[in-house]
Amino acid sequence: MSRICIERLDKRYKSRDGDVPALIDINLEIEDGEFVSIIGPSGCGKSTLLYILGGFIPADSGTMQIDGKPITGPGIDRGIVFQEYALFPWLTVAQNILYGLEMAGVPRRRREDIVGQLIRTVNLEGFENRFPRELSGGMKQRVAIARTLAYDPKILLLDEPFGALDSQTREAMQDELRRLWLAQRKTVLFVTHDVDEAVYLSERVVVMSNRPGHIVEEFKITVDRSGGREATVLSSAFITLRNQVWLSVRRQVGAPSL
Amino acid sequence: MALSPELTFLPDEPRWRWLRGTFRLLPIAIFLLIWQVVVDLDLVDRSFLPSVSDTFAALWQLTRDGEIGLNLWVSMYRALGGLLIGSVLGVAIGLAMATSERANEFFGPLVATTYSLPKASLVPLFILWFGIGDTTDMLTVVLACLLPVIVSTYHGVKAVPPVILWSARAMGTPRHLVLWRILFPGALPSILTGVRIALGFCFVLTISAEMIAAKSGIGKLIFIYGENGAYVHMFGGLLAVILAAFVADRALLAVMSYLLRWDDAYHAASAHG
Repeated sequence: MSRICIERLDKRYKSRDGDVPALIDINLEIEDGEFVSIIGPSGCGKSTLLYILGGFIPADSGTMQIDGKPITGPGIDRGIVFQEYALFPWLTVAQNILYGLEMAGVPRRRREDIVGQLIRTVNLEGFENRFPRELSGGMKQRVAIARTLAYDPKILLLDEPFGALDSQTREAMQDELRRLWLAQRKTVLFVTHDVDEAVYLSERVVVMSNRPGHIVEEFKITVDRSGGREATVLSSAFITLRNQVWLSVRRQVGAPSL
Repeated sequence: MALSPELTFLPDEPRWRWLRGTFRLLPIAIFLLIWQVVVDLDLVDRSFLPSVSDTFAALWQLTRDGEIGLNLWVSMYRALGGLLIGSVLGVAIGLAMATSERANEFFGPLVATTYSLPKASLVPLFILWFGIGDTTDMLTVVLACLLPVIVSTYHGVKAVPPVILWSARAMGTPRHLVLWRILFPGALPSILTGVRIALGFCFVLTISAEMIAAKSGIGKLIFIYGENGAYVHMFGGLLAVILAAFVADRALLAVMSYLLRWDDAYHAASAHG
């Protein structure tokens, strides 16, 4: 069980000209095993919300709870993947994936089993002893996901994880994430500015306003994805929802409606 | 590192590599040639500036007589021992300053005020306190090595990206392990750059201290030959220091390129070195 509950959350940033509001009155509930995307214009505070949930920065007011327990700091119940990968460059691929298990005190034999299995899951066989600098962006992000999955967090917080990848790699990674989610049913909060990505991956898409961010609209994504990517993306249900979300985000950016 | 000129006019292919290496030695060869020619043509007084060939001959003779061996050993012991102690202390103080506000408030002003002090000027004071010998010489070296290592460690730790620290904490790294598992390796490229600067200082300071306060060592040897007007031998001693420092620097570079084999920035900078 891992239900996220955010109520009346506010966050302000201090600047020279006084406090700048970043998030205003965020209310969001995410069910156990749900895949929710947050989408919004850049600078709207969606990453800030994720960092607050990660326990890296404090909120100014409001409550945040996981299964009824307030968030007080980082914890291994939540796994986070950053857009800039944030791998430890001095560790090899295998050592990076091992790291969380080592910190959790998992016995060596078990550790190696898990790493071997994850390396296969993210298709990195033969790269175990490479350093991150020797990998492409897509491979780095696969390592970042693998090392987060390694210690089996109940919740995944993903901060534009595929933002820096080319579109082919990004689609392959999306399918991989979707497959992992279907297999493991972790609770996922996925931050992105890509409308197609959000609609393709999630059960629910939450649209945030321009800064200061608050939630303006929610879309339940009821699309049949059983036919694979092409059939899904070309289906009228997908296109209709995609267009609705796109228009909603577009209105937040303040684009003129022509 | 970027200390050597980049020879971009040569193609970056393995079969040209030997030529690149040779070209790097060219300025040194030209310098030695001019030196030799200037002396051979009697443009300077030979008793004040011995020729290159005479200097090498003197070095060879001193080595054969055993003069260099023992003294060089003593000097290397002081220089590299001082470097090691200074570096370990420097890393410890730098890490403390970067992670603790209190340590920073304590050491910060000390570092700032002593940074530009020429450490050799402390030798007479150390003679007064510790007499002539290893303690005085090595203390001078330790102090000189300490400061660049402190500063590079401090800045190295401060430059570790916040997302690296965040992901370390997200993966359950306890606070006491963050220092050893994250901050130290993250700062290592900067730390080793500081150690390399300190390596240069350690030879400078060893020779300077030995010239004033030692009964042995290459510095003492150089000083005695200089005093007695045996300039060709003095140059021989100088040459021994240059060669020893060069070998030590190359050895440190080899260690660095192994320890930093994961570091993108290091490899980018040393691609032409």
